[in-house]
Amino acid sequence: MSTPVITTPAAEAAVTGRAGVGRRLTSFMPVIALVVLLAALTVADPGFLTLNSLTAAARTSAPLVVLAAGATLVVLCGGIDLSIAALCSLATVFFALWLPDAGGLTTVAVIAATAAIGAVQGVAHVLLRIPSFIVTLGGMSIFSAIALVISDAGPIRVVDRDATHWLTLYVGGVVPMAFVVALLVVVVVSLVLRLTPLESWIRATGYSESAARLAGAPVDVVKIAAFTVSGACAGLAAVMLVSRNFSGSPTMADNLLLPAVAAIVVGGTAITGGHGSLWRSLAGALVVTLLRVGLPIVGVPSAYEQILYGAIIVAAVALTLDRSKVLTIK
Amino acid sequence: MTVTSPADADLEVVHARRPRPRRGVSLRDAGPPVALVVVFGVFAALSPGFRTLSNVQNVLDAAAVLTVVTCGITFVLMMGSIDLSAPGIMGASAIAVALLVANNRNDNDFGLLGVVVAVLLGAGLGCLSGLALVTLKVPSFMTTLGISAVGLGVATLMFAGVQPNVSDRMLEGLAVERFLGLAHLTWIAFACVLVGWLVQRYSRLGRYAFAIGGAEEVLALSGVRVAPYKVAVFTMAGAFYGLAGVMVTSQLGAGLVQAGKGYDFSAIAAAVVGGTLLIGGRGGILHSAVGVLLVTVLTNGLVQIGVSPYWQGGVQGLIVVAAVAAAVIPQRRRNQVTK
Repeated sequence: MSTPVITTPAAEAAVTGRAGVGRRLTSFMPVIALVVLLAALTVADPGFLTLNSLTAAARTSAPLVVLAAGATLVVLCGGIDLSIAALCSLATVFFALWLPDAGGLTTVAVIAATAAIGAVQGVAHVLLRIPSFIVTLGGMSIFSAIALVISDAGPIRVVDRDATHWLTLYVGGVVPMAFVVALLVVVVVSLVLRLTPLESWIRATGYSESAARLAGAPVDVVKIAAFTVSGACAGLAAVMLVSRNFSGSPTMADNLLLPAVAAIVVGGTAITGGHGSLWRSLAGALVVTLLRVGLPIVGVPSAYEQILYGAIIVAAVALTLDRSKVLTIK
Repeated sequence: MTVTSPADADLEVVHARRPRPRRGVSLRDAGPPVALVVVFGVFAALSPGFRTLSNVQNVLDAAAVLTVVTCGITFVLMMGSIDLSAPGIMGASAIAVALLVANNRNDNDFGLLGVVVAVLLGAGLGCLSGLALVTLKVPSFMTTLGISAVGLGVATLMFAGVQPNVSDRMLEGLAVERFLGLAHLTWIAFACVLVGWLVQRYSRLGRYAFAIGGAEEVLALSGVRVAPYKVAVFTMAGAFYGLAGVMVTSQLGAGLVQAGKGYDFSAIAAAVVGGTLLIGGRGGILHSAVGVLLVTVLTNGLVQIGVSPYWQGGVQGLIVVAAVAAAVIPQRRRNQVTK
């Protein structure tokens, strides 16, 4: 979708005029939602606010956090990556197939492979000038097909559990290692962005691509890099999933697409690009996980989960959309 | 153009310009049918099983559901929007119709009325995504992704753990009984193409859908209230998906939540291959119908020559990316910002 973009001062005003009360409130929205959810769940079931269940929730959230963090970079550039879940499923199959031969190197190999696949999508988006959501929608069905073919459409057991054993450990006996790794991803990527010109380039690309291009930002390279990181994150999330399920399957992560997109938009990252951060997606992913874990606690059938995701996505995008930037909504 | 006296120049312009767009359009329009003939010929040469009459019937019957979904999505694409809601809406209408006609879960036996209600349910869900688009100003791929999830949730709620098996004669008969060698469902698909073509050609809705895709700003500035037409297009698309859900239920003899899985992408693939541009303003129902045949022939032919059916989605993915890439080549310079 090529969105008509105005590059008049109106857009610039929206960039700097962030100090309004409403704006500030929306920027804290994910944290507020997180606290409110925790409180509500504790009221509904006093047993929820115990170490055990919080640890379990944190462990469940790890793959989602990683997936959402990677895709956030693409969204910050103004695009979207709909292939993360399918790529993650494909990566679980890769992991299960490669483990007998590659042994301890499998994790690195899988992440490298998914990063390369992500880069290919980025190159297709940039060079062929195809809208990112079409490239990744196409990627989604291509990756699913590859996963189905190489796995013969069934789950593959992972017998050697040593390779993923480290992810099932607990740091200090409390914090699940998978969650620590997810946090590390968010911290490292955020720091790299902050300490290099990358952050300005990404924001400039998201806020106004043509202006960024004219100002000399390497827009194309930045976009390809964002897709690469997104792919690598899908690979890491796949390793986490395998460490929990002890198998690889061509559809294992497919139902994570909607939660990941929901996590990004609930965190307050604008789908129009530029505004947002990985920290927001971390908060968003925690909110989504709590909803997932919490609905059965409150006694709501899990069928409502899907309806809720749909409503949340639409509502959160409506709240965070930068309307000054989009002339016509397609 | 040479510079001559004003009167001559006018004449020249008239003479020089008229044939030009026609030639361009006809080349663009001729591509997909030519590709269809070529692909058909290649498979017919490669596989003896492909070139039988019964296989041609199979192809047409297999294309029925996709045709109806594509009829709906074509109008949305013509506006320059996108619609990913087909899986959810089809799932909801598939379960709804299975529960409303004679079935093993309850005592309902509404027959045709049940079908109408299921189609209306689809239209309602489509209307919701249109309303979210124009009132909340959320891009259509997000609203429809959301509505798809809502539809799947509604379907799961109605499913309630027990699969509704259809025992309604009329609904089951649609997929089984044949007229002139083709299943009744296939004739329904033909009827949908005809209705879609009439709407596109002769109704204000169809003309405005084109105009919205071509230049929405201009249309709005000329005093047309665009929003109601956008909602109407999404509502109509929803109704088509609802009908498609009913057709899947008729084929399977049972209501399934996953009735529409993958149809969103296949329909986009079919429409794009047929020559409907994703940026809107070009294409149409007949283009899409050719696209559906192309996609179905490709799917059927690849299976006939022994390619694993699991590749189906991958082939469609490649086709879409290639077709969109080919379509944007003429506009590379104009379209500098790609999101």
